[in-house]
Amino acid sequence: MRGALVIFKKELAAYFLSPLFYFISFLMTLLLGVMFSSSLDNFHKSASNAMMQFGMSPQQQNIHYGVFLPHLSLVNLLMIFLIPALCMRLLAEEKKTHTFDLLLTSPITSFSIVLGKFLATLVTIFGLIMVSMIYPIITSKLASFPWAPTIIAFLGIFLIAAVYASMNMFASSLTDNGLIAFVLSIVFNLAIWFVGALSESFDEANAKKVMEHISINTHLAGLIEGTIRSSSLVFIFSLIFLFCFLTERMIESSRWRA
Amino acid sequence: MIEVQKLSKNYGDRQAIIDLTFKIEKGDVVGFLGPNGAGKSTTMKIITGFMAPSSGIAKICGYDVFEDPIEVKRRIGYLPETPPLYTDMTIEDYLNFVANLKNVEKVRIKGAVDKALVKTQLLSNRKRLIRNLSKGFKQRVGIAQALVSEPEVLVLDEPTVGLDPKQVAEIRDLIKELRGEHTIILSTHILPEVQATCNKVIIIHEGRIVAQDSIDRIEKLHHGAVSLNIRTIKNITELSLLRRVAGVKDIETLSETNYRITIDDHMDIVSNISKAVVDSGAGLIELTPTRGNLEDVFLKLTYGQNQKASPNEVV
Repeated sequence: MRGALVIFKKELAAYFLSPLFYFISFLMTLLLGVMFSSSLDNFHKSASNAMMQFGMSPQQQNIHYGVFLPHLSLVNLLMIFLIPALCMRLLAEEKKTHTFDLLLTSPITSFSIVLGKFLATLVTIFGLIMVSMIYPIITSKLASFPWAPTIIAFLGIFLIAAVYASMNMFASSLTDNGLIAFVLSIVFNLAIWFVGALSESFDEANAKKVMEHISINTHLAGLIEGTIRSSSLVFIFSLIFLFCFLTERMIESSRWRA
Repeated sequence: MIEVQKLSKNYGDRQAIIDLTFKIEKGDVVGFLGPNGAGKSTTMKIITGFMAPSSGIAKICGYDVFEDPIEVKRRIGYLPETPPLYTDMTIEDYLNFVANLKNVEKVRIKGAVDKALVKTQLLSNRKRLIRNLSKGFKQRVGIAQALVSEPEVLVLDEPTVGLDPKQVAEIRDLIKELRGEHTIILSTHILPEVQATCNKVIIIHEGRIVAQDSIDRIEKLHHGAVSLNIRTIKNITELSLLRRVAGVKDIETLSETNYRITIDDHMDIVSNISKAVVDSGAGLIELTPTRGNLEDVFLKLTYGQNQKASPNEVV
């Protein structure tokens, strides 16, 4: 396990000592800052004006739905594009700079390599999610609202981001070209959203159910509304495990290929 | 220490190495010699567990590279063709990382890093970013990286490539220094390097071992023949006089005043010939005996075979 720890520390240092993380955080705060304040302003206007409340659904009068969910969906959108930028170098760069040779000739298992890299990425992503958490925290100084659903919704986004991270690490293991890894990662991240849309094109009831179940949308929707379902957690953790496993296989297979 | 049996590796249809079998004892410094593309790097990659062989067995310290990869990797320091460097680290941080990665005990890491820095003369540069180093320095960091875990076996793939002559000499001295502490395999296509550092040579050509032995014995493969290069002021009018000297095998006239005489390995013959040349009145300026060396053997064993088949291919 020491091997995984060594890799973890090294990757964490690489994330937090490079400008990329801070640049990404900066871009995120810039976009989120503009969008959050405008949606908070809109919510405030409609909430303070009795006339506008007339005919509005009770959902829209809830700060969780009116402000935090649009905020989170923007965070999710950003994650789709930013996590590939973080993860593209994970293994592609190791191959390009031949440091992969060092890892493969060191007394550590491919599993430790994957584990160390993935955990370091998770911590980094957690940092990014925390950056986006600033906005609800500031809002809590202005208004009082129940924290539980917000925290669960953020946990949902974090889990989805972890799925992205595992897929993007896998994409990075497929190539030694960072740009290809980046593009492939974005395709992966978008694809898990499109799977849900496919369910409409199936007539057969069971097929429809299967497609709905493997759509990340279904699972995120529950979490975002503040409910934790074990089936969703199992699904998300299986996805993460699957892609970590595939990455491990890719690393191991490099011994067999020229 | 290192045992390789019937090792083969195919890249698709191309056979990179074919049925390699050799054995290296503890403390040996072995030069892996061969032209480019002979299969040196492939063999090293297999020995270090970086790559799996198509067939055959490789054992390090009794552990099969394939069955016990972790045990093998614990005992090996490997410098690949391209040094595996994280360019955004300082030399010291990098060596610390490698030492951790190679499972060096926590308390010994600082000492091990310092020792590697001293041996590769990088101590005064320890705080520099690897990115900013010259090629020679990077190569040295690569060697330090292989040394830092104090491995029993050192595998160095072309350790002096891209270095200036002074650095090459330094690296060779370093390898000589390491002799005894480690079992070393180094690959190269530079012959003087092998002569300077190794006590055993394995010559490999087109994936096959063409010779393996100690350096002295390999040199003798070319047997006792010695040739003399002779330069005179005027041309020697009566070569037949020289031919008559006992032990002379052949006389070649290179130009009017240059001759090459092939003789049996015996110093009396050399003095007899010099006397004969002086007596002939041509005026002896230079007489250099040249022994058949590793280079001749190497060229004979590798390029020599091709030359007969297609002389134009060999440049």
